[in-house]
Amino acid sequence: MGRLSDVTRACQPEQAGRGPIREVSPLPPLRLTGVAKVFRDPMTLRRFTAVEDVSLTLVRGEIFGLLGPNAAGKTTTIKMILGLIRPTRGTVLLDGRDPRNPDARRRLGYLPENPCFYDHLSAVEYLDLVGSLCGIPPAIGRSRAAALLERLGLASHARKPLRKFSKGMTQRLGLAQALLNEPTLLVLDEPMSGLDPIGRAEAKKLLREERERGTTVLLSSHALAETETICDRFGIMNEGRLLETAIPGLLSSGVREWEIVVESMPPRMSESLRAAGHRVEPVGGRWVVGVRDGAALQEALAGLTQDSVFVHSVEPRRETLEEHFVRALNGAGGGPS
Amino acid sequence: MSRVLAIAKNTVLEVVRERVVLVLALFGVGLVSASQILAPLALGEGKKVVTDFGLAGSALLATLLAVFLGSTLLYKELDRRTILAVMAKPIRRGEFLLGKFLGLWATSGFLLAGMTAIVLLLLAVSYGGASWVLLGSLALTVIELGIVTALVILFSSFTTPGLTALFAAATIVAGQFAEDLLYFGSHGAAPAVAAATKACYWILPHFALFNARGLVVHGAAVPPERLLFGAAYGLLYMGALLVAAGAIFERREFR
Repeated sequence: MGRLSDVTRACQPEQAGRGPIREVSPLPPLRLTGVAKVFRDPMTLRRFTAVEDVSLTLVRGEIFGLLGPNAAGKTTTIKMILGLIRPTRGTVLLDGRDPRNPDARRRLGYLPENPCFYDHLSAVEYLDLVGSLCGIPPAIGRSRAAALLERLGLASHARKPLRKFSKGMTQRLGLAQALLNEPTLLVLDEPMSGLDPIGRAEAKKLLREERERGTTVLLSSHALAETETICDRFGIMNEGRLLETAIPGLLSSGVREWEIVVESMPPRMSESLRAAGHRVEPVGGRWVVGVRDGAALQEALAGLTQDSVFVHSVEPRRETLEEHFVRALNGAGGGPS
Repeated sequence: MSRVLAIAKNTVLEVVRERVVLVLALFGVGLVSASQILAPLALGEGKKVVTDFGLAGSALLATLLAVFLGSTLLYKELDRRTILAVMAKPIRRGEFLLGKFLGLWATSGFLLAGMTAIVLLLLAVSYGGASWVLLGSLALTVIELGIVTALVILFSSFTTPGLTALFAAATIVAGQFAEDLLYFGSHGAAPAVAAATKACYWILPHFALFNARGLVVHGAAVPPERLLFGAAYGLLYMGALLVAAGAIFERREFR
């Protein structure tokens, strides 16, 4: 399998004179300011606020995860970013330009949620169409398409009609068409959906490579654990509002609990730890003691050592993105219980 | 322009790869060939029957293709959400619509040209020579098809496939009788009715202008000034319809 750097190399002729380094705009790749979207039911004329007062600025070269439960407003926000729907209030700017201006979308890559492409075409024909729409010279477009199909494991299916593609193959083609114009901003709506574990790993690797090349990535996802491993920053949306933005690294620096694992423990000791308010549980032939802070940890360790209990390990237990996500939604009063 | 042509090419492939096109093409060949069966009943006027029946059948089938396949073209894009990935590319909505229009017009035009070629072949084989004046009629019918296609694109930019086909069919029928409508309004009708019929006369496409079959079946050529006027009128009318469709489509939201 080729690497994405092969794709970059294949595209060198277009970048002659300025090397593989891209032109970098001083403006943020994406800025949303007070964006809101209110839909009106054409039958009942009832108003429905899908997105309310979302402000967000992406930093060039970061992977930003937009998280939230169903109907949180993620896809509506993404569609406003792409100019597919107009904000009722607020502004969306791509490199300082309105996304409804086609020039603003020249270096934008987009993968829709559950993508669907023309099933009368083959993968090669579809990428040829995408290349023409992006104004890529045919020879360069063909070269990039071949490299991307190889990179995404679709080379052997390049001439197969898209109607015969599985969901995972369609998703991979979606990534290929999003990358064909060498975007500086990639907007991916549920990019891991429909991919098998190998496909997910490949997709994550591909996104990291894109970040290394300076591409800014905005992705929406339900797969929190996977998002945590690739995102530099994430935002949590619920009921149309962006509740918070945070950095996974900083999030996990907060230790929720210290876990002491011991080989065995006299009953008197476990009762005394429980009485002190600590969590004591037998796990796989060992005992796990959970204590809340450093002072309690010192005290518990002193007691265990005094009773000659063999301490196997002491580890901090940090808040996972999933726990943080649930806590954020519960805090907003709209999350899962 | 390359973006428009890319959409047009994709539309041609989409329409051509529909099985219904093959069925229509076979039906067209059958219809044109059937005129051969009727020819002996025409008491020496077989050539006229073959020409008239063949040209009218070709025009009807090409119009049906434009209306019925065209009415679902945009709807399918929106329903299956194939349009989302396309409209996120650096393409204007007007360019997308123009590409759809050109692709559909080209496909129905190819079908019409193919069936006209069969008529010419039949005339050459059965009556010892093809009447090249048929090409004048073909040119006018191609322009007529362009107006039909633009009507379909306009209606499909804001309504469902069923209503698009209904509105387009109603406009095509009414457009055939635009002159009669004006005549009816100007002969003893109430002033309000007269004003309404006059407005309809100016708004409706004058499809009668493009029907030169009466001329060519008698071997007469279509006058060049009629061809020029038809082309100018047709292109202006198509332009107006596409501008209106573009304005509507520009405001459409892809939810």
